Amino acid sequence: MSESELAVIKPEALKTYIWLQCFDGSIQQVEEEVAMFCPMICREIVKNGTGSSKNHAIALPERVNPASLSLILDYCRFHQVPGRSNKERKSFDEKFVRIDTERLCELTSAADSLQLKPLVDLTSRALARIIEGKTPEEIRDIFHLPDDLTEEEKLEPLKNMNDDPRIRLLNRLYAKKRKELQERQKLKDVQVQEEQKDERSLDELLCFINGDGDSGGGKAAKSKKKNKRRKDQAKNPPKASSEPLNKEGALCAIQRKVDGGNISRVLCQSPDMQDGVEDPFEDADLDDGLDPAMKEELDREVEDFARRLNSVWPERVHLGQDRRIESHIGGNGSLQRFPGKFPGKLFVRILVL
Amino acid sequence: MGRGGSHAAPAAASPPWHALPDEVWEHAFSFLPADSDRGAAAAACRSWLRAERRSRRRLVIANCYAASPQDAVDRFPSVRAVEVKGKPHFADFGLVPPGWGAAAAPWVAAAADGWPLLEELSFKRMYVTDDCLEMIAASFRNFQVLRLVSCEGFSTSGLAAIAAGCRNVRELDLQENEIEDCSIHWLSLFPESFTSLVTLNFSCLEGDVDITVLERLVTRCRNLKTLKLNNAIPLDKLASLLRKAPQIVELGTGRFSADYHLDLFSKLAAAFAGCKSLRRLSGAWDAVPEYLPAFYCVCEGLTSLNLSYATVRGPELVKFISRCKNLQLLWVMDLIEDHGLAAVASSCNKLQELRVFPSAPFDAAEQVSLTERGLVDVSASCPMLESVLYFCRRMTNEALITIAKNRPNFTCFRLCIIEPHTPDYITHQPLDAGFSAIVESCKGLRRLSVSGLLTDRVFRSIGAHADRLEMLSIAFAGNSDLGLHYILSGCKSLKKLEIRDCPFGDKPLLANAAKLETMRSLWMSSCSLTLGACRQLARKMPRLSVEVMNDPRRACPLDSLTDESHVETLYVYRTIAGPRSDTPACVQIV
Repeated sequence: MSESELAVIKPEALKTYIWLQCFDGSIQQVEEEVAMFCPMICREIVKNGTGSSKNHAIALPERVNPASLSLILDYCRFHQVPGRSNKERKSFDEKFVRIDTERLCELTSAADSLQLKPLVDLTSRALARIIEGKTPEEIRDIFHLPDDLTEEEKLEPLKNMNDDPRIRLLNRLYAKKRKELQERQKLKDVQVQEEQKDERSLDELLCFINGDGDSGGGKAAKSKKKNKRRKDQAKNPPKASSEPLNKEGALCAIQRKVDGGNISRVLCQSPDMQDGVEDPFEDADLDDGLDPAMKEELDREVEDFARRLNSVWPERVHLGQDRRIESHIGGNGSLQRFPGKFPGKLFVRILVL
Repeated sequence: MGRGGSHAAPAAASPPWHALPDEVWEHAFSFLPADSDRGAAAAACRSWLRAERRSRRRLVIANCYAASPQDAVDRFPSVRAVEVKGKPHFADFGLVPPGWGAAAAPWVAAAADGWPLLEELSFKRMYVTDDCLEMIAASFRNFQVLRLVSCEGFSTSGLAAIAAGCRNVRELDLQENEIEDCSIHWLSLFPESFTSLVTLNFSCLEGDVDITVLERLVTRCRNLKTLKLNNAIPLDKLASLLRKAPQIVELGTGRFSADYHLDLFSKLAAAFAGCKSLRRLSGAWDAVPEYLPAFYCVCEGLTSLNLSYATVRGPELVKFISRCKNLQLLWVMDLIEDHGLAAVASSCNKLQELRVFPSAPFDAAEQVSLTERGLVDVSASCPMLESVLYFCRRMTNEALITIAKNRPNFTCFRLCIIEPHTPDYITHQPLDAGFSAIVESCKGLRRLSVSGLLTDRVFRSIGAHADRLEMLSIAFAGNSDLGLHYILSGCKSLKKLEIRDCPFGDKPLLANAAKLETMRSLWMSSCSLTLGACRQLARKMPRLSVEVMNDPRRACPLDSLTDESHVETLYVYRTIAGPRSDTPACVQIV
């Protein structure tokens, strides 16, 4: 619209318009109350006084393209009307996000850069609903994502991204504390561990009578350096642990879809654990110039912990008696329980009377 | 970016629309309901992998040997809540020897190093030492939630460390652990200034607790919602505790028996009357019928009732439960008997989960009249019932078929007929038809335990129909290799398979080796496996860890054993961490 045309319309409508400019230079105008619904634009208007004319259009962030802006303004136009019921708003929202994935992504990004939180949440949830229940292949397909996770990359250990020096210092101090506790643990491992005796006399077939088991359960944490890895041989002890693969299958509890090909992709994609890559880790260098005051504070923190633990730490009393997990006859004579006294812990009786 | 003016801004190349900033994807991922969805997203492309793993806050390690602790820390640097599970489920029944493994220490150490901001830690069936607890107390300045389920290896000294060292702890939840009592007054180590407790569950503790200290703690923790006492807390102390915490939502009473005294009864009833928010009730050790009416005023509000420790029987029990019209979860002893269950079924229509435990499993002479009738009645009257664990001594195919027809919405069906190989007691047929009906009807079934006399036929049904089944427990069932083959070649969603005392051998195992990599774990004990097959399996599938155990009392010298030698226990699980090095002498990794 030319300015003269606008000059004619404006007094008739008696409305104030705000001017917005996208990164590509295109300019849109929108009713003031609609624009104000968006916090970022609202700030621009109020604090910087921009947007009141075409020449002083508010410059929008790069991620807001004209199509997304149009949608966002539709959203604002609807929601800024105060009288609407929750049901109406919900219904509008549901229809609003029924757009193709590409536009939804652009819209999410635009809403995010404009800090329009309700719309960000709405679109993010819609994106999540698209992702939910899909396999990686399907996800790549829908979102046109590059298939750029190579086998090697899946093998490559992923670096710890903690760049915060404070956290790194804390880690170092905790590592020190951990080492102290490990020393103590090692001393204890030397003692023969108290074994649980199972004295269920009723159960003839139960042969898990404990002998002098070794202290297998209480091994001290391996004091490996944080980032040291070595090439793995499948049979080697896990100290030289293999490169972490796609962890999904191993770590996460649920595997929804089980068709062979899929699962092997999602699970452990390494063809062979022996083909380890060299460890790309550098040792984390923690002695970089840190604020000495902060260091001191953290030092005090750890010492405080240690002091509190030590001061309330009476000597461990080792009871000589064996732990009994036998089925005990309850005082009323009728109740028997078995391993561990907990009612859930029975599957099928072992003994056939 | 030009402001105003009529000149066009330079036509910058806009980024490809899928390459949005990480924060955008992180936010979208935060709405994904399941970890598996997050995993799929992470496997899509490099940028999503980066965004997902950096924004992951909750992590579940379903098998502590599937990956190393360092792997977990490296991959997910921002985790705030971790749950790690150790020993296989059959450890609950004494089939896993002590010292088997599942030490929590490496996890605590790695977490202390890599997740200093960790807030929640859960261990299930793991070996947790006092040193672990000390390290937890010392390492995480914002530690809030400690949950230990079915663990062992620690004592009240470790609890003392937590009490003394974790100034922000909200939840201390100890479920069914073996805790050594070191006579440490660990409760008194919560500082006087400490008020943040929301959950305190020490029901599995055996020793005494200082009641005065407990009362003071309860008084000053105004946000306390869950309080589960142990057996050592006598009934008369319960009333005063309740008066100090009327806001309680979940209560585990201590010992619920005493000689009947009217004034004690009135005190209790009055105390319960003050607990308007009480929704979940448990404990009630050795409950005596005379005191049950003290609960009456809270019955209406109860949604969860765990009476699995209450050896009470008779009309008082049934009257009490029947008043709980809004009950969703009921755990009870078989002392309730069929008629009791029928009454409960008609009163408690909102029931979703039922567990009936055997009061005298080893004593066949003790006659408790709990049969298939009880389960049939409940399945008929409770439309929302979806999870069942039921111990009984007899069953019929007809009953199972009826149950299947009544309740196609079962997600968890665990039937334990106490005597192995028990057939349909009327027709003397195997219970194949009954269990087949269950899997055919209940399309959403995720967990199944079968028992009684069963042939390979039932496994064919299960393999073919149980598409959503994730966990299957089998004992004393089947007649040939075919049974196992049906399961492993079917059951599309199977994650955990545990088998004992079945005539399953090498062939189905080797024929379906690839299936094992799609599962979390397989347990087979007292079956017909040979060492040769295990060796072959290990050779064929390097990403599986194949653990063999013969005699828990002796070392397992694999090298001297021939391929033909019998394998008593096989535990196979997928792992990316390679073979573990903390096996006791009786366990060998093939």
